[in-house]
Amino acid sequence: MSDRREHMLEARGIAKSFGALKVANNVTLELDAGERRAIIGPNGAGKTTLFNLLTGEIAPDAGTVLLDQKDITRLTPDARARRGLGRSFQKNNLFRGLTVRESLTLSAMIALGKARQFWRDPGSDVEIAERIDQTALWVNLAGELDLPTDALSYGARRQLEVGLALAARPKVLLLDEPTSGMSPEDTGIMLELLNSLPSDLAMLIIEHDMDLVYGAAQRVTVLNYGEIVFEGTPEEARASDEVKRIYLGDWGDHHA
Amino acid sequence: MLRLDGLRLVLAIVLFAGGCGYAFTSDFFGKELLAEIAIFAILAMSLDFLAGFAGMVSLGHAAFYGAGAYIYALLSIWQDWGAPMAMLAATLFCGGAGWVIGAVTSRTQGIFFIMATLAFGQMAYVYVFENRAIGGDDGMSGVPRLDLSGIGIDLNDPSIFACFLVVMAGLVFVLFVWLLRSGFGRALVGMHRNEARMRALGLPLIRYKAAAFAVAGAVAGFAGTLGAQHSMFVSPDYLHWTNSGLVLVIVILGGLESLIGPALGAAVVIALKHEISTHTEHWAFFVGLFLIVAVLAGGKGLYGLLASVRDWAAAKRQPGGGDA
Repeated sequence: MSDRREHMLEARGIAKSFGALKVANNVTLELDAGERRAIIGPNGAGKTTLFNLLTGEIAPDAGTVLLDQKDITRLTPDARARRGLGRSFQKNNLFRGLTVRESLTLSAMIALGKARQFWRDPGSDVEIAERIDQTALWVNLAGELDLPTDALSYGARRQLEVGLALAARPKVLLLDEPTSGMSPEDTGIMLELLNSLPSDLAMLIIEHDMDLVYGAAQRVTVLNYGEIVFEGTPEEARASDEVKRIYLGDWGDHHA
Repeated sequence: MLRLDGLRLVLAIVLFAGGCGYAFTSDFFGKELLAEIAIFAILAMSLDFLAGFAGMVSLGHAAFYGAGAYIYALLSIWQDWGAPMAMLAATLFCGGAGWVIGAVTSRTQGIFFIMATLAFGQMAYVYVFENRAIGGDDGMSGVPRLDLSGIGIDLNDPSIFACFLVVMAGLVFVLFVWLLRSGFGRALVGMHRNEARMRALGLPLIRYKAAAFAVAGAVAGFAGTLGAQHSMFVSPDYLHWTNSGLVLVIVILGGLESLIGPALGAAVVIALKHEISTHTEHWAFFVGLFLIVAVLAGGKGLYGLLASVRDWAAAKRQPGGGDA
């Protein structure tokens, strides 16, 4: 909170406990328009829980969430999504039996308020078609639009996972381990893909793959036991003994 | 979403043309059977919309059917409303009731949703059964039919009335094809496939579930107004949950999420029911056997069976694809 720039997403003092376990402890972070920030931390640090608190899947015990300067703390997950908060999931969360095009259509039509239309077929809507084509280019699925999602390779399904969120044209995109389970080649494709997205899109990325963190993020936030323990550039994170200790675990010290 | 492929279109045309043809060539009993099939086809399509496409398996469908029938009967007998206005009012009422009940029951999931719809349905049944003012368990007779004599159509002629019902079933089919391709219909199918993702994409789930229930309720109510006109009599039996069960059996036998399958299922089950009940009163036993076979054979129903025959034939025609 050093400067007074306009934040796209802001969490102020978010706290959440499950019984005696503090999964989020006074978490405060800001994301500017176009900022790419990685959240790293060991397993169980509360990264996905933080996403669930930001998207409204879980209600915080204390704290405020602001999207584009507006308080969204009391809004349902779907209302937050309609205001421009998109997310992808750590495990593929797709529509079985539908084609890539049909899946992307669902996302685009909801975002454009066309899910309410009783009579018009979004399949013949020009605005939706343009969005789908653009999204397919971003996520490298232009040639797979009419394939059923079940027929896609794992890497392509990961790309669709991100594409579903992108077809809604969010202001802020929360990506939960976009390269989870991916081969090194597919990880490279994902990195390229993320860097090709519009520069005004703000992204918060949970990631374990350090190549992706260094390649895609301008800022790194390190979470441990639900608490932010480090914030800085990827270079600063790399140089920090604190980050090394947390991330590599205690055995790192013994061998140092 | 619904893909109106060749098989669906062919089946729809065959059922429609067959129904219209049968209306004018069958004996009196055949026409009665056809009328019943057409009404059950409408009910089954509306339940497939709700259960098959939107994924909300309801056991309260007969309550909407009965409510539509009673409201039509009451408005036309007591209030002297014209049949078109009475049909419209009954349909809209059932849509509104569907909205409210859908909004309440949609907060539950799975088996609890089924039980909640069953409970609502039985509440409606008991209310009608106990209410002497609307005939109680005796029901009410003297329900008039729509008068289309102004355009030269005599609905008191059994052939013409049966054909009229087949046309209504055809219109309901077209309505659902249209609706399932719309943004609304696609949203329901998406919700059925992955509710959590649809919410994460911004869909307010309860509102869409309530709307789906409203549409299905309105169409079931509309079927009720036709049922009341067909038998010219309404009774609490219309609302009984065993009717809801029968419609669900028809939908599953015909093929969930296929729209035309349940219409075909209505023809097969109602015809079987009458055929078997001339020999034994335990017709439900044989329909049950048939259902078990259908479920064990993949659960895709008659439509699924026809679709696999189509795919098999297509693979055989394609050189090199026959052994796949």
